[in-house]
Amino acid sequence: MTTDALMTQPRFFNASLAAELFRRQPLFAGAALCLLVLMAPTLFAMAVDQRTFLDINVWIKPFKFQVALAIYLATLAWFAGWLPASVAASRWHRIFSTIVVLAITAEMIWVLGAAALGVASHFNDSSPLAIGLYAIMGVLAVVLTSGALVYGVVTLRDRHSRLNPVFRLSVGIGLVATFALTAAVAGYMSGTGSHFVGGAHTDAGGLSPMGWARDGGDLRVAHFFATHAMHFIPVFGFIASRALPASKSRAAVYAFAGLFVGLVGYTFVEALSGRPFLGLLS
Amino acid sequence: MQPGDIFQICNVVAMAGWLALLASPFLPKLADRIAALAIPVLLAIAYAGLILAFWSGAEGGFDTLPNVMQLFTQPEIALAGWVHYLAFDLLIGAWEVRTARAERILFLVVIPCLALTFLFGPAGYLAFTALRAARAAISSTSQAGVAQ
Repeated sequence: MTTDALMTQPRFFNASLAAELFRRQPLFAGAALCLLVLMAPTLFAMAVDQRTFLDINVWIKPFKFQVALAIYLATLAWFAGWLPASVAASRWHRIFSTIVVLAITAEMIWVLGAAALGVASHFNDSSPLAIGLYAIMGVLAVVLTSGALVYGVVTLRDRHSRLNPVFRLSVGIGLVATFALTAAVAGYMSGTGSHFVGGAHTDAGGLSPMGWARDGGDLRVAHFFATHAMHFIPVFGFIASRALPASKSRAAVYAFAGLFVGLVGYTFVEALSGRPFLGLLS
Repeated sequence: MQPGDIFQICNVVAMAGWLALLASPFLPKLADRIAALAIPVLLAIAYAGLILAFWSGAEGGFDTLPNVMQLFTQPEIALAGWVHYLAFDLLIGAWEVRTARAERILFLVVIPCLALTFLFGPAGYLAFTALRAARAAISSTSQAGVAQ
């Protein structure tokens, strides 16, 4: 049982990344692989389908969801390797991760189905069915994001971990922050009727590759940074735990996490006030 | 990409699979990977993409013959149907080659079955099944003869 392949070297660099993911969390790794396979027909559909939604190809959104959810699952699978063995092998962990994968499956069917029909998935209030589906998918989005929360809490509480304690702290904070910040930003967003604030309600001419609005506020910017806390904060923690002495690296992780929450808050307020991301620079 | 272009590309891709099957006595493993995996997967991606893109807008259905005919009046759906033939016929062809190899059936007598499967799908499967049945009957008869 190696719980610290990244920290002890050099095994990780010899093994293939995919095989390591499957060893750490087979269900999440398998689901990520399924999303990867699903990208092929989605891209094919993009190539043959001329229909647009908000002025861009209808298949761009499902493709972005496949990329985002595959990265999310692969990251969780990676972090699963650092969970205590007693948790990783437990029955409730198997049940919980199955629920997370089922929620992701439902979201994917919903977004693909809306694209196939050429209608809105999110913010769709055109019929009672569409409203009901959007509400259910909101609940399932919280369920799937709770994967980060649960992994984060378990990681923070794991005092017998073989991980570097500062790095472990950054992984735990990053995961919990992903859940808390995403729930706050996306929860607010879902109640507003659109992620655009001011500007034209179009995806054409967006900031590539994300497609964020250039002519007004776009709440998806804050959603993006909120959800990627589980990447930014652990990467900082990994570097800090190696570059700084233990006493300072811990404070540095807390400071970085605080700054990162500030960044999410800034992009959130920026969008709410109708200004585009990096609007000051352009 | 227009449906006509995709049609041409898929035909060429499927043909490469059939050529691989014809070369299978010389490179059985490679032929199997090409004709039973790589090319069917490519065709399946194209099929699934076409269905994602065009099924919801298609008129007709599976329930009556006129409805099925109605489906196939739309170029993209007719193309998807054709890609379906290409993919599954090739899979059956690859299965015939594998089965024949496992049962030591002479490849020369499999070739007519492959040709039929290539042109008329189920007719080729029927021919191959008849061939296996005939062989089984012959071998059991000859064994009975030995036992006497």
